[in-house]
Amino acid sequence: MSISTTTPATAVETGRAGKPVLSEGRRAERRLGWLLCAPAVIVMLAVTAWPIIYSVWLSLQRYDLKFPDQRQFVWFDNYVTVLSNGYWWTAFGVTAFITVISVAIELVLGMVLALIMHRTLVGRGLVRTSALIPYGIVTVVAAFSWRYAWTPKTGYLANTFAGETAPLTDRAWSLFTIILAEVWKTTPFMALLLMAGLALVPEDLLKAASMDGASAWQRFTKVILPLMKPAILVALLFRTLDAFRIFDNIFVLTAGAQETSSVSMITYNNLIKGLNLGIGATMSVLIFVAVAIIAYVFIKLFGTSAPGSDDGGRR
Amino acid sequence: MALGAAILVAPVLAACGSDGDGRTIVNLYYAPEDKLEDVVANCNEAAGGRYEIVYTKLPREADGQREQMVRRLAAGDADMDVMSLDVTWTAEFAEAGWIQEWTGDAKDEAENGTLQGPLDSASWEGKLFAAPKNTNVQLLWYRSDLVDEAPETFDDLIAAARQLKDAGDPYVVGMTGAQYEGLVVQYNTLTASAGGRLVSEDGKQAVVDEGAVKALETLKNFATSGVASTSLSNAKEDDVRLAFQNEQMAFQLNWPYVYAAMQTGNPDLQFEWARYPGIDGPAKVTIGGFNLAVSKYSEHPEEAFEAALCLRNEENQKYSAINSGVPPTIEAVYDDPEMDEAYPMKETILEELKDAAVRPVTPAYQNASTIISTVLSPPQDIDPQRTAERLREELQDALDSKGVLP
Amino acid sequence: MAETTGKKVGWGFVNVLVVIYALFPVLWIVSLSFKGPETLSDGNFIPRELNTDNYALILDPANFGLFLRPLINSIGIALISTAIAVVLGTMAAYAIARLSFPGKGLLVGISLLIAMFPQVSLVSPLFEIERSLGLFDTWPGLILPYITFALPLAIYTLSAFFREIPWELEKAAKMDGATPTQAFTKVIAPLAAPGVFTTAILVFIFCWNDFLFAISLTSTEASRTVPAALSFFTGASQFEDPTGSVCAAAVIITIPIVLFVLFFQRRIVAGLTSGAVKG
Repeated sequence: MSISTTTPATAVETGRAGKPVLSEGRRAERRLGWLLCAPAVIVMLAVTAWPIIYSVWLSLQRYDLKFPDQRQFVWFDNYVTVLSNGYWWTAFGVTAFITVISVAIELVLGMVLALIMHRTLVGRGLVRTSALIPYGIVTVVAAFSWRYAWTPKTGYLANTFAGETAPLTDRAWSLFTIILAEVWKTTPFMALLLMAGLALVPEDLLKAASMDGASAWQRFTKVILPLMKPAILVALLFRTLDAFRIFDNIFVLTAGAQETSSVSMITYNNLIKGLNLGIGATMSVLIFVAVAIIAYVFIKLFGTSAPGSDDGGRR
Repeated sequence: MALGAAILVAPVLAACGSDGDGRTIVNLYYAPEDKLEDVVANCNEAAGGRYEIVYTKLPREADGQREQMVRRLAAGDADMDVMSLDVTWTAEFAEAGWIQEWTGDAKDEAENGTLQGPLDSASWEGKLFAAPKNTNVQLLWYRSDLVDEAPETFDDLIAAARQLKDAGDPYVVGMTGAQYEGLVVQYNTLTASAGGRLVSEDGKQAVVDEGAVKALETLKNFATSGVASTSLSNAKEDDVRLAFQNEQMAFQLNWPYVYAAMQTGNPDLQFEWARYPGIDGPAKVTIGGFNLAVSKYSEHPEEAFEAALCLRNEENQKYSAINSGVPPTIEAVYDDPEMDEAYPMKETILEELKDAAVRPVTPAYQNASTIISTVLSPPQDIDPQRTAERLREELQDALDSKGVLP
Repeated sequence: MAETTGKKVGWGFVNVLVVIYALFPVLWIVSLSFKGPETLSDGNFIPRELNTDNYALILDPANFGLFLRPLINSIGIALISTAIAVVLGTMAAYAIARLSFPGKGLLVGISLLIAMFPQVSLVSPLFEIERSLGLFDTWPGLILPYITFALPLAIYTLSAFFREIPWELEKAAKMDGATPTQAFTKVIAPLAAPGVFTTAILVFIFCWNDFLFAISLTSTEASRTVPAALSFFTGASQFEDPTGSVCAAAVIITIPIVLFVLFFQRRIVAGLTSGAVKG
């Protein structure tokens, strides 16, 4: 059964438009589509379907591993408990703050880095590789090195910039060091995706534009950026999702002191340290909801740049 | 329960139970301890072929160890036989039904000659649930070239440091004040020394009485006295040790491990030790350490108890004390002359162990500890009355496992 | 010509800035790895004397289970996971970007959902499933979750790139007489290269640096990877941080990443500039 993909487009476009009965080509296309997606879907669902459902189910129960006899179904009590708790909202605020600031910086810095990596005339390999190294270092080790660097007397950064105060004991300074550590580490992720997006912009278009008299800035904003929208969406979306779930850097740098805890840290504390499966699951679901809202907003903002949103990208 | 959706292939009995020739395997899950393999080898010899102890390492950090074990115990994993429990986990594991009670001969042997403090840390509701293996207490370490006589109370300590400050010498007093368990240890020491309690005897009520408030005052005074490190609220054990080692501090309150560490790191440093200063005299110091427990799901409990008893017997405790740097829980070991070189401070340690304090004994200890370290951090911002109020309220929620942990 | 030289110098200068920004903290880690216990906290950026004890310790064959075995595990698991994730992701992304079939939007939504759910709550149920299937502490036990959590990113990235490849190329190739396979390998594949290699790099780094699954779904060196193995490094005693050896390990495990990226980075830009679209 050789599924002929010669011109599935033709089968649709040259029209039996409006007919409810599917053409042979259409059916073949659907089969191919499902076939190609099947392995990925099967793996993803097999691994995560039960754990996700189980987590949601747990969030509806009071279940503390330390007091197994007190387990009971409490419907949405856990949600009320968490959403009316000061610690949760502080963590939420800190997380939102760190996410917005770091992603904004990373987008700009990532774009700059992407342009450099793409267009540099000398030492391409060196620049690209070294720009990506921060992303490749184990997060915990990088966080430790930052911690050492910001500790007075032991660290070169504290000695140079902070004078007498210990940066990691002051809230503003701590947030700054956390954001710095995050940005340094994950800008390459953005830069890589943006650079690949840059590579798709046809040189001819740019040449044509400059011949029409467009300045570098105009070429950038009117030619490059619009064509990069899909890449920007992917980069922004995934980076924001990850930024919202920041854990390692905060854990190593401040252990959450001075109210610098993130929602992931507070979930970890309740789930793994407190062994309160009900509350932990509730927090996970809430984080998921928050992140889903962010994703929804991004996708709406970027409209047709989202994967699968228009019909096969046929132009 | 989770098996519903899983396609059951062959049941797994990997590495648990017996090996090929039918010999019983006792799986020991222990924190990474230097030279523990030698102790295990000793005990395998002593077992005479009846069983073999296989040592599986746990992560370095206590939290990581607990996470690994709890995950498997919660799933009823039969793979673990003997486990190393931090002294604060006994009540929690016992209440959750994960460890077996020690009774009869095994109990007698575990208790024989063992110091009272560690034994208290291994008991819950009057029953013994673990055999103490090693213990730990903090001491006051000071620069002998700067200080002639060690201060005995906290106020004296602050005064002595102030004097050094005025004289232009290194003066900082190092304490582990980061928002983590180390802070709880310090606070617990101060509370016990002031004769106070944080939690009731049965572990169900948050008390935070006058003694606890006095401890809060002391902590706050210390943090704002001008002699504490600027990094106090970010300092953990090794940060303090390194700063002292680099001659930035005149005093430090830390565990005995610093002795060997500082000798290697800065052999020329002149330092001595003394008892941890308390409120009206030497303090009632919080004990740390590890106990050995037997898992409820172990398939060879008899062999497991036997193995555990061997691992922590007098001879092996002495070996571990000298080679791994972990203070013993059996009193007789301290008198052994071989201990002198590795533990010149053993007398002080023993004195403190005989007048020690334990952290609140409750299954919800992790909750309590998280709350205490959060409420007390940073120490400079403590307001004794208000902080005590807040502590009482939130600690009660933590003990009832209500509400949300920070 | 002078303009080109000037430009080169300019770019060279910019490059140096980039390299400094990226590598300065890394150099700090390298420097820490060459410090012994006496000089660890002396605050010197460059160590006064190079102490190779840390490297000797972790590379010692007698300590095989400490670092060398986890290194092998990491390499194997990351490579296999990346290969499979990229293949499955490419197939799915092609379908999403080019074909029309019901359930497409749902698939995209579900894969995003999987990427969004906090992994910390999924670890315990996953542990129980793997235990009962005998996958706990095995390579497949880690490979499967890695593929799962890498697929959403892979699918999104790859479909974004597939969308950009013009339809006309495929049609033109076929009209020139190419079979579907030839059309794919000679026309589409080279154009898909940027996306595929970008995805490969990102997935590899994800698998390589993951800590959560590695620490929760393994228990011995049989399958423990390096990030998890770092938690088992010990200093000389309970509270001493093994900073030196951890930094040495971090330096060593960054090397494969550097090689991987060096190898693939050129192919990312090969794409459209290879001349498929002429005039």
